[in-house]
Amino acid sequence: MNTRDLVLVALFAAIVVVLGLIPPITLGFIPVPITAQSMGVMLAGCIIGAKRGALAFLLFVLLVAIGLPALSGGRGGLAVFAGPSGGFILGWAVAAFVTGLIAERFVHPGNSEGRQFVGFFLASVIGGIVVLYAIGVPWLATVTGTPLIAAATGSLVFIPGDLLKAAIATLAARAVYAGYPLLPARV
Amino acid sequence: MLTSLYVEGGSWFHRVAVRAKLIALLVLSLGLFVTNSPLLLLPAFLLCGGLYLSLGLTPRQALSRVGFVVFTILVLAAVNLFLIPVPEVVALVLRLMALVLFAAAVTATATIGAFMDEVTILLKPLERLGLLRAADVSLALGLVLRFVPDIFARYEAISEAHRARGLPIRPLTIIGPLIILTLKDADTIAAAIDARGFRRQ
Repeated sequence: MNTRDLVLVALFAAIVVVLGLIPPITLGFIPVPITAQSMGVMLAGCIIGAKRGALAFLLFVLLVAIGLPALSGGRGGLAVFAGPSGGFILGWAVAAFVTGLIAERFVHPGNSEGRQFVGFFLASVIGGIVVLYAIGVPWLATVTGTPLIAAATGSLVFIPGDLLKAAIATLAARAVYAGYPLLPARV
Repeated sequence: MLTSLYVEGGSWFHRVAVRAKLIALLVLSLGLFVTNSPLLLLPAFLLCGGLYLSLGLTPRQALSRVGFVVFTILVLAAVNLFLIPVPEVVALVLRLMALVLFAAAVTATATIGAFMDEVTILLKPLERLGLLRAADVSLALGLVLRFVPDIFARYEAISEAHRARGLPIRPLTIIGPLIILTLKDADTIAAAIDARGFRRQ
């Protein structure tokens, strides 16, 4: 890994910390407020690619683990890993990696704008929602003893909010891709 | 802006080595999942809670640090009451609470430096395999701490620019410029690191 990659990874981890400091937005039709930080996984994969995106999240999770309040709302420390949503936090790096893989495969500079939007949205939905829940929900079911089916059904409440996040991440990622492309191409 | 969750203090738990505390946390998290008996889980919960409260945090600070996780545990417990037998729910809540409180106690009594020493040791095997360099991890960590205030200042400048133009402050119009402006610095920062020979390449 060259120094530029190392710096990109560190800067993106720092961006994710700052996204946690931005006040969350509330929308009328969704019960939970949307924090900008929760879009970080999708943004990381779509903007700096699979490998660097995953490393940025490993670094971010390390920051949380060693006791920095880097999560939105000033949360942090080992307690969040011991809690019910620990699996989601540990799943971020994998989710960012898968998001990046799909974005690298489907988004190329020569594509039409519409195709790039579709590529980023697919990557965000599969990596940032499907993969993340596939890790986080079974973990939650194991730790809290909630039956898996009930835990999975309960998580459906968050899906509309997550799709909205994927849409915002898609627009932002495409804006960055047009202005300062960093996503490696993969055939 | 990003101050550590460590609290100054001289309790006996502060003096225990970080490695011992991390191993204890690991043993506890595996051990508590083996038993379902409230006779073991209740004392574990009370001991962990007592330990956490004896570290010199004010009750308010103590609550704000674990409040969110405790809230999630209680919500899920309320859901569980409809799905699984009550004694099991009680065991699950006691176990998770004990773990969360012990983990919070470890975080409150270990400095970032002490944690990083342990992380460096854990990374040694990976370093031997040539997968990464422990020094790079420390460097990246330092860069994050160095640039968070800068990036936050940039966020405020962009919101300010929105306000000056009478535009609503939306994440969509802020994230794009924030990321481009930040990542554009990568080349300069990388050149500065290499010029100083920090990575000995």
